[in-house]
This record gives sequence, C-alpha cells and structure tokens, in this order.
Amino acid sequence: MTPQLAGQIELFLQVVIAGILLGGLYSLIGLGMSLIMGVMRIINLAHGELMMVAMYITYLAFSLVHVDPYVSLFIVLPALFLIGAGLQKYLITPVMDVESVLPQNQVLLTVGIGIVLSNLAQLIFSADYMSVPVSYASKTIYWDVNVGGQTISLSFNFPFLVAFAIAIGLGAALFLFLGKTDIGRMIRATAQDKRAAAIMGINTKRITYITFGLGAALVGAAGTLLAPVYYIYPAIGGPFTSKAFIITVLGGMGNIAGAVLGGLVLGLGESLGSVYISLGYKDAFGFVIFVLVLIFLPKGLLGKSSV
Amino acid sequence: MRKTFVAAVAALAMTAGPAGAQEKVVKIGVPLPLTGAEAKFGEMEKQAYEMAAEEINAKGGVKGHKLSFDIQDSGGKAETATAIVEKFVSINKYPFVVGEYSSQCSYSVAAVAEKYKVPYLVVTGAADKITQQGWKYVFRLNPPSSLYNLGVFSFFETVAKPKSIAILYENTDFGNSTSKAMKEYCKAKGINIVLDEGYQAGAVDFKPILQKVKSLRPDIVYMVSYLMDASLLMRQSKELDINPQAFIGGGAGHTLPEFLQNAAEASEYCMSATLWTPQVKYPGAKEFFDKFKAKFGKEPDYHGVEAYAAAYVTADTLKRAKEWTAEAIRTALAATNMMTAFGPIKFIAWDQFTNQNRMETLVLQVQKKKYETIWPKDAASAKYVYPVPRWRDRK
Repeated sequence: MTPQLAGQIELFLQVVIAGILLGGLYSLIGLGMSLIMGVMRIINLAHGELMMVAMYITYLAFSLVHVDPYVSLFIVLPALFLIGAGLQKYLITPVMDVESVLPQNQVLLTVGIGIVLSNLAQLIFSADYMSVPVSYASKTIYWDVNVGGQTISLSFNFPFLVAFAIAIGLGAALFLFLGKTDIGRMIRATAQDKRAAAIMGINTKRITYITFGLGAALVGAAGTLLAPVYYIYPAIGGPFTSKAFIITVLGGMGNIAGAVLGGLVLGLGESLGSVYISLGYKDAFGFVIFVLVLIFLPKGLLGKSSV
Repeated sequence: MRKTFVAAVAALAMTAGPAGAQEKVVKIGVPLPLTGAEAKFGEMEKQAYEMAAEEINAKGGVKGHKLSFDIQDSGGKAETATAIVEKFVSINKYPFVVGEYSSQCSYSVAAVAEKYKVPYLVVTGAADKITQQGWKYVFRLNPPSSLYNLGVFSFFETVAKPKSIAILYENTDFGNSTSKAMKEYCKAKGINIVLDEGYQAGAVDFKPILQKVKSLRPDIVYMVSYLMDASLLMRQSKELDINPQAFIGGGAGHTLPEFLQNAAEASEYCMSATLWTPQVKYPGAKEFFDKFKAKFGKEPDYHGVEAYAAAYVTADTLKRAKEWTAEAIRTALAATNMMTAFGPIKFIAWDQFTNQNRMETLVLQVQKKKYETIWPKDAASAKYVYPVPRWRDRK
C-alpha cells in the first residue's frame, strides 16, 4: 500500500470517527426533543436555550466551586428536570388547555420561553464568551493501526469519547425506563392515546410534566458534556434548537430510536460533507438530508412515532 | 397622604424642568449588536463610546452641548440595523449615524444612509465593498479588510518566505473579503494554496477539515475567524498535532483577550494580523487601554479603540461643522484630519475606495500568554518566534 493511499484511508477513518462521536452528542440533544414531541405533540423551540441554561450551571459549578463538568451532571440533570417540569406545569399546560385562534400557540410559547431564557442569561452573565477550561479539554488518545505495511494513526478526543459514552448510557437508560418501569409505560400509553390513557386512570397531566422534565434533563446533559469542548454564550441555543429539530424529524417525529439514529446520521453527514464536499455548507448538509428524508421517507428514518 | 403626593410630584417637576431646559444635548444615532452572537463586541464598543462621551462632556462637550450616543440594539441582523437607521433618520431626525459592528450590517446601514443623504461613519465593518460603491455619505474609520494583511505580507517577504499555505475562513463578508486579499497575494507571489475552504461559523468540530490540512502539510495555516471559532481551531490543531511553520489569523477572533483564555496553551505562538495593540505609539493608546481595563474590568481589543476613536472623530466633526445638518456634517467629516488613540484619521480616495481612512497594520504573536507586537520591526514590542516549535517539542 502506498503512503498516499494510507493517508487517504487515515483521513476517511478519522472523519468517520469524528462524525460518530459528534453524532452521539447530537443524539442526546435530539432525544429530549423527540420525547417531548412524542408525548405532547409539540415541538419545543426552547430546547437549545434549555441546553444553554445547563451549560451555564456547569460553568458556575466549575468556576465557583471547581466541580468537574462530569460530576456536575448530578446537579444539572435534576435541576433541568425541575425547570422542564415547572415550565410544562405552569406555562405550557395552561396554554394547552385554552381554546385559541392559533392551534399551535404552545409552540409559539416555547419560542417566547427561549427568548426570555437567553435574555436572562445575557442579563446575568453578560454577552461574554465563557468556557470551562478543564485540563483534559484537548486530551487525545492515539491508536496506531497497521494496514498493509503502513501505520495509520487514529486519534480520539477524550471529552468527545466520554460524551459519546455517557450519551449512549443515558440513551440506554431511557429505553429501559420507558420499557420496564411503570412511569415509562404510562408515558408510552399517554403518547399512544392520551384520552385512553386517562380513562385507564393515568394522570396524563402529571405524565406531561415528567416527560418535559426528562426531555429538558437529556438536553441538559448534552449541554454539560459539550461545555468542556465548546464555549458558552447567551445566544448559543438557537443553532442547537434547529439541529434538534432536524434530528427529530429525521428519526420520525417522536421516535426515540429514530432520534439516536438521526443524531448519528447528522453528525456523520456533517463531517463527511465538510471534508469531501465543502465545509462552508456544513449546516446545509443537515437540511439537505432533512429534505431528502421528508420527500422519500416522510415518516422519518424509522417510521411512525413509537415512544 | 394626597397632599404629600402632590408635593412630591411638584418637587419632581421643579427639579426636572429647569435642568432639562438648561442642558442642551446633541444626539448621534449608533446601531450596535447588543444581543445575539456578536453581542460581546457590541457591548465592548458601547462601553467605549460611552467612556469617550463622558470624557468629551467633562471637557465641556461640543459647542456647549452635551454629546450623547443613542445606542440601539440591532441583534447583529442587517434588517434590524436598517430599520433602526431608518428610524434614526426619519423619526429622530439625527443628522449623523455612527457605528454597527459586522461588515454585513455596516453595508446595509451604509446603503440606507446614502439613500437618505445622511453621513454615516463605518467603525468596524471591514469588507472592501462598503467604501467601493462611490457612496458620497459613507466614510470609514477602519482600514478595509484587504489591507488587514499588509503587515503579514511584509512579514512573509522579509522573514517567513512561505512556499505553501492553507486558507480557512468564515463564510461572511469579512471572511470572504480578507481571505480574498490573501489569495490574490499568494497567487501573485507564487505561494501554493493547498487548501481554500470557507466554513460556517459556530461549528462544534473542525477536526475533519483540520485533518485534511494536516495531510497537506502547508508552511502556513491562515485562518479568518470571528468569535470563538479561532480558539476551537487552535485547540483542535494542537490536538491533531498539526505543525506548520506558523498559524496566522486574519484579525478579529485571534486578537481577542478571550482567545488567550479559551485557547490557553494552544494559543501560544499563534500570530495574527491586527489593526491596533496597546503597544502602538499613538497618543492616548495606552491610556485608553489602562482606563478601559480599570473601568470595566476587562481588556479592550482593537474594536474597542475603534469605537473610542469614532466618538472623538464625531465630536471633532460636530465642532467643525458650520451647522448641524446632514450636509454640513458631511462636509466637515470629509475634511477630518486628526490623531486618535487608534491612529491618524483622514478620509481619502484611492483605487476603487472613496472616503476611506488608510493606515499601517500590524502583526502580533502570542508569547507567554500575552499579545506582543512583532511586526513591523519599528513598532515591535518583542522579537518574533518563527518557525514556531512543534507542539510536542514545547515546554
């Protein structure tokens, strides 16, 4: 094998690795939105802003009391769960109960919540860019493989690897939770048929609070995992809301396994596209895949909602 | 109870009334991105404008008037900036508009100002095209982006003499315009451009494209980045162990104080084109830097001093204008010839540019976690390190 070919293979493998690792994080962002979509039938457009809140909590925990970002997951997950459940209980549910001219006004409400959150963040933290400068932010694990007489050196970024592992772990935990526990079954029942679930004695309102809380906690976890490798500013939510939306639609609105797959497809599509087509269209790839899926697989990659 | 209330209102009216009548204020419209992704720059500039206005007013203001900047939030969106300026012109009747941050917004505002025949001073928007339209009412304080690299070019010719270069730039007016100047220079000088990629700002992971850069082994990696992309690019370059002779930034992101904190050890030895450093020998430059740092607790970069200088140019123009109408202010602005903390300001025409200030640009390098001016030699505060050591040979 020639060194040139080995170089090409190395580039390709490295790009695939980067795409899958990034895809893991995207999956986590998409999972929360997909869950909320599946149960409440609303797109939560404050999703990215909830992630921003989680990132600031991580930042505060790190800069004030030196809590490692991964440890601060234990603060962020419950905090975001409470924020999410609170939003659903005190803001979204009351609006859902009202008959209005606009059928989707709860979606508009989530846009408003997002704007309030990002402006609050700017009020408190100013518009400065902040980061969580952990010592291992650019720690990298190298793996040398021998292919046809040529050595290919593959690198794995440590925070991305941890983020991927935790994302997979949380995704698996969510599956078990939805499949094996009573509350999980209630959530699925509510998603399938809200009225029937209510007749069966399920407190569907309480289920919606829990679902929104779970969705917020999941995207919060993504925010915390992203903090060491990215940066934080008040308006960071917007782009991630649109990524979550693409993933949700890609996977089939409200399909949990689909969201995981959608996240991986988006991550891979972005990294492969940016190297082999053009980096300038990185964000466009997501939308191109999105449009293609809508045209050819209108129910998403994995079909109908099945929370 | 009611009596005291009435008395209080009366007292308020008494204090507010006469003071308002005595104090004459001249207001100048300034659109700036105070929210959104560019808010950090907007905030820095707002503080600089207000600091300058305070100083000017402490020295008696402008022709017995208090100078006040009416700063409105554009959110960094061209359409909002345009709407704000339309309001400035048609409702507030301001005869003079100053500011905005990005090239995109500045360009849109310039078009509106020209339409309404109101003088507009561009302060930070750098895309060449803004002052290449032959617009009569648009003036620019900062050099156009094609000149940002002048210092870097002279560094290339005298010291670096690179043979190949990889160019990465943000897909914005500023990124396109700055990298275009670099590309034209490289073509003219026979420097091999091995990679030429625009990217979308705010990406989480640049590693795929950096991996490609690594496999091409260029002498120079040149990047034009706003915001935090600069830190991520450097951090991920270190991670991937990319070792060119030098990393050079095209200004903006690579010159921010935050770059040093966020990129940390990955920022070491990174060079960048810049318009200004606190080490320049213009009167008031160091004083501005120290005062700003003491007052707001953070270091300003060249965007801050541009806004600060713009405030002084505004005051100077208003002092010289025969009357405060758009036409008279335009005439006075065109005749500007003054020294500021940012450098000498004079609006001239050359090539396709009109009403454009021209000045020397510098190169800085991060050394021991501090920005040092390294080029041109007579302005240098430290000697350059070139080629930079390989990542694994450091420490």
